[in-house]
Amino acid sequence: MTSLHNPLPPVPHVAGRILDAQLHLMDRQVLDHDGVPVTTVDDLEVSGPALDVEIPPGTEPPVITALLTGSVLGTRIFGGRPPSSRLVRIPWTDVAEVGVVVRLGVSGEPLDASWVERWVRDKIIARIPGGRHDPR
Amino acid sequence: MWGPNEGSLVKRLLGVALGVLTAIGGFVDIGDLVTNAVVGSRFGLSLVWVVAIGVLGIILFANMSGRVAAVSGRATFEVIRERLGPRAGLANLSASFLINLMTVTAEIGGIALSLQLASSVYYLLWIPVAALAVWLVIWRVRFSIMENVTGLLGLTLIIFAVALFLLKPDWGSLAGQLTPAVPQQETVWTYSYYAIALFGAAMTPYEVFFFSSGAVEEGWTAKDLGQSRINVLVGFPLGGLLSVSIAACAAVVLLPAGISVTSLSQVVLPVAEGAGKLGLAFVLVGMAAATFGAALETTLSSGYTLAQFFGWSWGKFRRPAEAARFHLSMIVCLLVGIAVLATGVDPVLVTEYSVVFSAIALPLTYLPILIVANDPQYMREHVNGSAVNVLGMVYLVIILLASIAAIPLMIATGAGS
Amino acid sequence: MILGDLLGTPVFDADGGRLGRVADARFVLEGAPHQLMVEARLLGLVVGPHSASSFMGYERNGLTHPRLLARILRWRHRGSFLVLWEDVAAVGTGSVRLRPGYTRYSTALVGPGKA
Repeated sequence: MTSLHNPLPPVPHVAGRILDAQLHLMDRQVLDHDGVPVTTVDDLEVSGPALDVEIPPGTEPPVITALLTGSVLGTRIFGGRPPSSRLVRIPWTDVAEVGVVVRLGVSGEPLDASWVERWVRDKIIARIPGGRHDPR
Repeated sequence: MWGPNEGSLVKRLLGVALGVLTAIGGFVDIGDLVTNAVVGSRFGLSLVWVVAIGVLGIILFANMSGRVAAVSGRATFEVIRERLGPRAGLANLSASFLINLMTVTAEIGGIALSLQLASSVYYLLWIPVAALAVWLVIWRVRFSIMENVTGLLGLTLIIFAVALFLLKPDWGSLAGQLTPAVPQQETVWTYSYYAIALFGAAMTPYEVFFFSSGAVEEGWTAKDLGQSRINVLVGFPLGGLLSVSIAACAAVVLLPAGISVTSLSQVVLPVAEGAGKLGLAFVLVGMAAATFGAALETTLSSGYTLAQFFGWSWGKFRRPAEAARFHLSMIVCLLVGIAVLATGVDPVLVTEYSVVFSAIALPLTYLPILIVANDPQYMREHVNGSAVNVLGMVYLVIILLASIAAIPLMIATGAGS
Repeated sequence: MILGDLLGTPVFDADGGRLGRVADARFVLEGAPHQLMVEARLLGLVVGPHSASSFMGYERNGLTHPRLLARILRWRHRGSFLVLWEDVAAVGTGSVRLRPGYTRYSTALVGPGKA
């Protein structure tokens, strides 16, 4: 399909499923194990490589360590970078499935990524009469 | 497609309420009620073709967004964020959210205006009542009840079509106005401005936000695709019909009399003339219900777009405490609306400037819907057919042209005045 | 590091010639199995003529409809290629450098990855 005269060779076969970060992960909705929305994938954290140093041949490739959310969205849009301590992480080990959405294998309730939701609920919404009323 | 027993038939008929309510917000909200009458009183029926193009366009894209929601469970703004990324997504969110907020404000004012017409109690006093009523419905009433009641009551606006018949117009000359032509006393610029305003109103992005989110609220799956199709095929043409009836009534009564429409009371004038007191009662109920429905639609859309962009928990099917930020954002929107109206601004004027933001929001909304409706990861075998794709592309071009022309035309014509 | 910082970074060959920008990072699900899902290790980088806006993946995931859109977006990303992690010499704050004699691979998604 490319306009090149000699098409590029396909990637050597790998056993696992392929995920392109931008195409399959970034900006997708994250649901917890009950299907409750937790956040979106605002960015990803990877284990390496060390910046600005020569990568010795044979170095193990970096792996995804966490989904990031929170202020990292602002810096992704407007530039800059939040300090590492301010990053809100959902560890990759909590991820159960990647499809149209990213599903976690854990409850979203205790996650750091849910603290604003918890705060708004406990301090405001749950205190309004009917706030815990089941509409169904 | 139709169930064997009557219970299911009734359910099917009530099942189009989502489409009807969605269309009411797009075609006969407070801004459109006045715009339609203005158009009728100034341009006769020479802009009906624009409404027809708009109806077809919104049918096309609302059905796509409903299909994406039913098959993949993803509402439209999640799709927008995922495909456009955070920057263009945020641009769309800002524009769409401002349109929502302006329309929420205008509709609360509109409910208050309708109530003033009905009760003669000063309109500013009705504003907190209207906003509280909107909030209570969002807070407490089940989605299906909400859409059925407001959808059905809004349909009383059909009295405009009845009044048109009772006015016994010269049908021949009325039909003669249907050809696109600029009336003598107008310029091609004001004509184009109103053409774009009508097209933009028909395709307002909050319709697809509301429709697709409503599909998720109702738990539609791939089995409900027929239902989605019936909803758009009944709802939007009905909305278009109401919009054209209002314009036609104005064209028959107000245009010959040389009355220019500036307020809601002039919109109902032809109905009073054609259908008398009873008709007037109907139209007041219809306007209150339509503006109330539009207020619900736009308030909920504000919550839906924010929650879906940021990935918050949302939906009226959840307890408010389980969608806390979603509910908080809607409360804030209503409070902002009250604050704006308290300054005494004319609610009808508020919606006029939403054309500017539509120019940004329309292309950035319909492009991602079209792309995702072709993506088998989302749609499995329910991807778009080629005819839908060709039409979709044609409409994207129209939307783009309208977007580019909107702001210069608005400035050149002083918003059509 | 944060992946978002890498996306959009200019890519150079060993002689300093500019090749484009990092349009995406390709991962493969294999390696040490965790509790729920296996590790996602970096397979390579997608290098394209334009910045991070990979623009909806039309250039890679085999979407062909609507035809006109698919054509426009493919054309916009003509010349995109994939380099494997083994061919990356250094990742800096403002640039990515490739090793001498790196190989360009097709960016097409094939096999199980083409969801």
